[in-house]
Amino acid sequence: MFSTIFNFEFKRWLKNPSFYIFIFLFFIMSAFIAATSFGVFDSITASRGSNSMANSPLALSEFINGMNYLIYFLLPIIIGSSVYRDFRYNMHTILFSYPFTKWDYIGGKFLSSLLVVIIITLSIMAGITVASVLPWANQDLLLPFNMLAYVQIYLVYVIPNLFFFGVIIFALVTITRNISVGFIGVIVLILITIILSSFTRDIDNRYMVALFEPFGEEALGYYTKYWTVAEQNNNLLPFKEVIIYNRLIWLGISSLVLGLLYYFFSFTQTALTFGRSKKNDRVTKNNFGGITAIKLPTVKYDYSGWQNFKTMWSLSHFDFKFIIKNFAFLIIAFVGLLVLLLMSMTAGQVFGTSTYPVTWQMLMLPGTFFSFFINILTFLFAGMLIHRGDTSRMGNLIDVTPIPNWALLGSKFIALIKMQIVLLLIIVIAGVSIQAYHGYYNFELGHYFFELYALKLINFVIWAFLAVFIQTIFKNYLLGFFVLLILSIGIQFLPLLGIEQAIFNFNSGANYNYSDMNGYGNSIELYYVYKIYWSLFGISLFCLALLFWKRGIPMSAKETFSNAKKRFNVSFGAVLAISLISFFALGSYIYYVNNIENPRYSDKESEQQAVDWEKNYKKFEHYAQPRITDIKVNMDIFPNTRDFKAAGSYWLKNKTKKTIDSLFVNFNDYPTVFKFDAETTLVLKDSLFNFNIYKLKTALQPGDSIRMNWEITNKPNTILRDNSPVLANGTFISNGYFPSIGYSSNGELEDDKTREKYGLKPKERMAKATDSIARMNNYISNDADWVSFETTVSTSDDQIAIAPGYLEKEWSENGRKYFHYKMDRPMLNFYAYQSARYEVRKDKWKDVAIEIYYHKGHEYNLDRMVKAVKLSLDYYTENFSPYQHRQARIIEFPRTGGGFAQSFANTIPFSEGIGFIANVDDEDKDAVDYPFSVTSHEMAHQWWAHQVIGANVQGATLMSESLSEYSSLKVLEKEYGKSQMRMFLKDALDNYLLGRTFESKREQPLMFNENQQYIHYNKGSLVLYALSDYIGEKNMNNALQSYIKKVAYQEPPYTNSIEFVSYLDQATPDSLKYLINDMFKTITLYDNGVKKVTSKKLENGKYEVTIEANISKYHSDEKGKRIYADKYGKALRYKDRDQKEPIESLPLQDYIEIGIFSDKVDAKSKSKEKVLYLEKRKVTKINNKFVIIVDEKPTEVGVDPYNKLIDTNSNDNRKKL
Amino acid sequence: MKLKITNLSKTYKNGVKALDHLNLEIGAGMFGLLGPNGAGKSSLMRTIATLQKPDSGSIEFDGINILENEMELRKVLGYLPQEFGVYPNMSAKNLLDYFARLKGISSAKERDAIVKKVLEVTNLYDQRNKHVSGYSGGMKQRFGIAQLLLNNPKLIIVDEPTAGLDPAERHRFLNVLREIGTNHTVIFSTHIVDDVKELCHNMAILNGGKILAHGTPKEAEDRLRGHIWTKIIIREDLEEYKANFNVISEKYNQDNTLNIKVYSETAPNDTFINAEPQLEDVYFVALKSDQ
Repeated sequence: MFSTIFNFEFKRWLKNPSFYIFIFLFFIMSAFIAATSFGVFDSITASRGSNSMANSPLALSEFINGMNYLIYFLLPIIIGSSVYRDFRYNMHTILFSYPFTKWDYIGGKFLSSLLVVIIITLSIMAGITVASVLPWANQDLLLPFNMLAYVQIYLVYVIPNLFFFGVIIFALVTITRNISVGFIGVIVLILITIILSSFTRDIDNRYMVALFEPFGEEALGYYTKYWTVAEQNNNLLPFKEVIIYNRLIWLGISSLVLGLLYYFFSFTQTALTFGRSKKNDRVTKNNFGGITAIKLPTVKYDYSGWQNFKTMWSLSHFDFKFIIKNFAFLIIAFVGLLVLLLMSMTAGQVFGTSTYPVTWQMLMLPGTFFSFFINILTFLFAGMLIHRGDTSRMGNLIDVTPIPNWALLGSKFIALIKMQIVLLLIIVIAGVSIQAYHGYYNFELGHYFFELYALKLINFVIWAFLAVFIQTIFKNYLLGFFVLLILSIGIQFLPLLGIEQAIFNFNSGANYNYSDMNGYGNSIELYYVYKIYWSLFGISLFCLALLFWKRGIPMSAKETFSNAKKRFNVSFGAVLAISLISFFALGSYIYYVNNIENPRYSDKESEQQAVDWEKNYKKFEHYAQPRITDIKVNMDIFPNTRDFKAAGSYWLKNKTKKTIDSLFVNFNDYPTVFKFDAETTLVLKDSLFNFNIYKLKTALQPGDSIRMNWEITNKPNTILRDNSPVLANGTFISNGYFPSIGYSSNGELEDDKTREKYGLKPKERMAKATDSIARMNNYISNDADWVSFETTVSTSDDQIAIAPGYLEKEWSENGRKYFHYKMDRPMLNFYAYQSARYEVRKDKWKDVAIEIYYHKGHEYNLDRMVKAVKLSLDYYTENFSPYQHRQARIIEFPRTGGGFAQSFANTIPFSEGIGFIANVDDEDKDAVDYPFSVTSHEMAHQWWAHQVIGANVQGATLMSESLSEYSSLKVLEKEYGKSQMRMFLKDALDNYLLGRTFESKREQPLMFNENQQYIHYNKGSLVLYALSDYIGEKNMNNALQSYIKKVAYQEPPYTNSIEFVSYLDQATPDSLKYLINDMFKTITLYDNGVKKVTSKKLENGKYEVTIEANISKYHSDEKGKRIYADKYGKALRYKDRDQKEPIESLPLQDYIEIGIFSDKVDAKSKSKEKVLYLEKRKVTKINNKFVIIVDEKPTEVGVDPYNKLIDTNSNDNRKKL
Repeated sequence: MKLKITNLSKTYKNGVKALDHLNLEIGAGMFGLLGPNGAGKSSLMRTIATLQKPDSGSIEFDGINILENEMELRKVLGYLPQEFGVYPNMSAKNLLDYFARLKGISSAKERDAIVKKVLEVTNLYDQRNKHVSGYSGGMKQRFGIAQLLLNNPKLIIVDEPTAGLDPAERHRFLNVLREIGTNHTVIFSTHIVDDVKELCHNMAILNGGKILAHGTPKEAEDRLRGHIWTKIIIREDLEEYKANFNVISEKYNQDNTLNIKVYSETAPNDTFINAEPQLEDVYFVALKSDQ
């Protein structure tokens, strides 16, 4: 009987067109998405270049498992419905009287439909394979086809997952006989994953999450998270420990579910229902009712349009009630709320410190996942409402009432909107609850409601229009749902196909953004323009839905069309015409403004431009040019109209030994005029690249100067186009907007493969550290060394405007405020203007004035910042060199401008998003006071950038970013102790290891880094901190001090990392010289771990601890390939008793810290543990035994217990006794 | 108040000719549409009720061209389909209120009044707060009547409403229908001859999408008077009789003999007894003559 049921069910699917539709959909989608990443569309859009192969086993697994999220939504439709169908069509009454066993029935149904789903998933693989052999696929991005990779992905992840979740969904639908419960199941599983994944932000939770995360992705990530590019390209997926456990756990869970289903399933005819069963009275019938005269009361029948409109509204209540009483809705709403609350625990955390739960932060909590759920529910309920008449078989009764189609369909649409409103309310409830929980009582309900209902809702309404349309077209609402799901996801891929403009991409367009300083600013207007545009399209869709909406008995396609023609009357046509015409009119206008009035360049064209720029002008790169020596700028900022006007003058001095006959002026597309105080002719004016060449009538002699005056304004802002960076409150404009001298290589293409395509030579990201031409420029500016700076900046009378320098004069004129700033010493050609309604906090350190310009309400961390400035000044002046300014200013700017702080001379713009609203918990030892650490980092830049500036060559940022990180860590350590170091360094290690997995060109050693953030920030802070630990803080700082003394404020050629490292090298004793090589000159990683530990109590009351630890290290090449042999080809090997593969290592002469700890902490100490022993021990082989005697009973031991060294698995460094 | 159907044809996608150049005129009062399963009754009813479009032909009611102006008809139409469901978890009262809104009753007070009245008329008032989805077959049919009364319809179409009802329910149902039928045009389809006999002053017999007979039940019976003959035979002889005579019906008696009826202008032979024609005979004769 089993095979009969199996075969019957399977054949039924083979005959079902939707089976082929699904296969086709997944095939096309996979092929299409894969093709974009294989570079198939590079001929129509921007090129894709990468080091990591697009079809490496890891990439394939991400892709296939990603696509599988869509497949999971098929589970309720295919597996869930296999039993449900029998009930739906009342087959069960007949079927269940046939002689088969429960297993025949359940097993046959489940396995056959599982097979169907598996066949559908195979179309993903087919799609990828086809995409990879398309003639336009870029073979440089591809590895040869590897069947084993697919087999692994399908056997370990795809098929088991389908089985696990298939079982769960099958059980849910079979027991409740409700397909939508199956959808809930899928969504809940996805939510569980989201929640679990959010816990991995804390690295310590990764193991547990990997065990239980249902899809197995975290388990895979547990091993592959830090895979370098080489490992991604060369390795098959791992299949070991955690992955096996995870799969077994879920196999267990799903088997249990299957067992329970088998046990509880009975061939009865009632479904299990949740909730109350109502008590009903026994009804006895009165069969003797006589004949009653039927005299109906006279009532008024109103068929007017207005009445229909009111009826539409009141009918929507009925449909709305249907939604909110529905299981799917209730559960998803509840789970959604739960997820929001859970997410709030980790949201917005930086180094373990969260921000105050301000309203905008709460509004960001839902992120994309909540929007996705609102959409899913919209898609689902649009179908359920539109087909509600059919499903309940009441449709015919409704269809013959004199209610117009628009009122009936409209009522369903309104019910959907009401549902969306309720779902958005959940965000308010969650937000306010979270705020109240954290004791934050500033409930800005107005802000909540404005963002959710005035801004966000319209986005969902537009989706509802589409949902109503699609669900009207499709007879089967599950199919309709699926199509909508795919549309909503597929639309995001349109830009990859070269469809880049928002007007062609459904419901896209500019988004709004919020900052405390500037509110929604001007982002709202453009948002509304696009939403109105798409609403007009939505209304047109609704009209079309009305034409094709089924009323009465289903009709053939031909009848549907002739019926639609009949429905198309004058008033209907008018509405459709108006909405369509306005849609096209608005769209054409936007198109006109963005394409014709203003030139627009597609990604492809921009790529070509970058090529042209390089081909045309690269030849001028090393042409002798004068350097800017003096800068004077008059800057007028108009916050009300968001305009600015700048007039500046540069003194340009010929510092070369040659005469200069022409000037290359590089500017941007703002209207700009130039004037020179010598006679010049414009010999080239490139209005595309904004590059002018002026020929000097009399050549500029060495040592001579010429003055260049320039004026720059912005084009007026319009609703559709922002032509200025000025904000109503919180302007932040840097000198990047102003003209520069000479060719700039910034715009050149980076990716070598793309460059090759355009016939360009491979390019170094940065010049070699020894490049003597490149060393003539510092890495901040290509056209100046140290400059004098003076500026007058004006703004509206309620704002303060700030620029580097000291305030010389402040006055009002014509209702505007003017500020005159002048810097009293040479500084880098690097400055910015800020203007906002500021409050000012003032303080002093010795004779240095400390000022913080902040937004009212952001007082939370001012004290911390002031303290950080003072302590930084203390430490840096004592250890490095004197502070060159009389003032240190921190100036807040809106988070919409970015989440960073930046150091200009005596001036530090500081984003409101990273510290001003941080909620630092001084009690929590794992939480870093980052307002403090960011401030001290930026303060350190006053030395490491503004005193010592590296040449524009590889490794330059070692002397700015890495040293600033080091400096601020030292200040932080002094103030907060070592415990905060651990939190900080753990994060740095994680970010460094993650960063290398995304490396698009090549990983460089720290000393030759090419402005790679994961190297100069994360690795830099680890390495410098560890070095100071090894060679001693004082020793290290002395080296820094003498380095500063040598190179501060130097003129070209600028210092490089080779020079810097030589100072460190000198300070390092011979026994530790290997560190200089490992840390700076090569990429070195350790793999340290405690194998075994025993302890025994000695007679004298002390404890003898025996630690067995494996120590190994390797170099990594630029792609991440491990190298174990040193330059002489020597390597260590050690084979453990219980290990199959021997451990390899570079030869060791290393000092590794060994620690023994006790959890008995005396009250005085701030830390969580007591150190019984901590010493660096010399290690020369892989397997080591340390026997150490300590005074107290040890509870934990570790090798490199504080993770000072770079180690991809830092979890096994400690072991508990 | 006259329903006029002219030349109505409808062929389904699968080739079934549901309506075949059908012509029919129906006046006020109860009209019975008699026909076997699959005769096209429901197709006809649905077409009149604006749920379905014919391929050709026209339908006019009280000056309304139904096919062109369906909304006008819907205002005066009451329709009870052969089979229907209701939204689950809604009480009769709420559902009727829902229908009252759909039917254009704007005032809440008036809605309440009329809902109350139709509940009383259909004797559902006591069960008004119960979920209709939990109603028994008979109650559900009565609910169907209740909802169709809400717009005080002039044209009422009920499609096989008595199928599956117990005798008492059927009775009650027919009584209510009859009561309505006095002032309205009620078209009532059934394959149960007794329904028509008890209720209708006018009727038509439909098969294969065509009207086979049309008139009052009385007239039809009268037309057959003297032409229906009956005889009791044994089971084994049936085939022989069928071959030789125009047998229109055969029924088992309790003693395993058969009672056959034959249609014939004159006595087939002297073993037959002339029988008083029943409406059932009219029905069978009509079907037989169409073969």
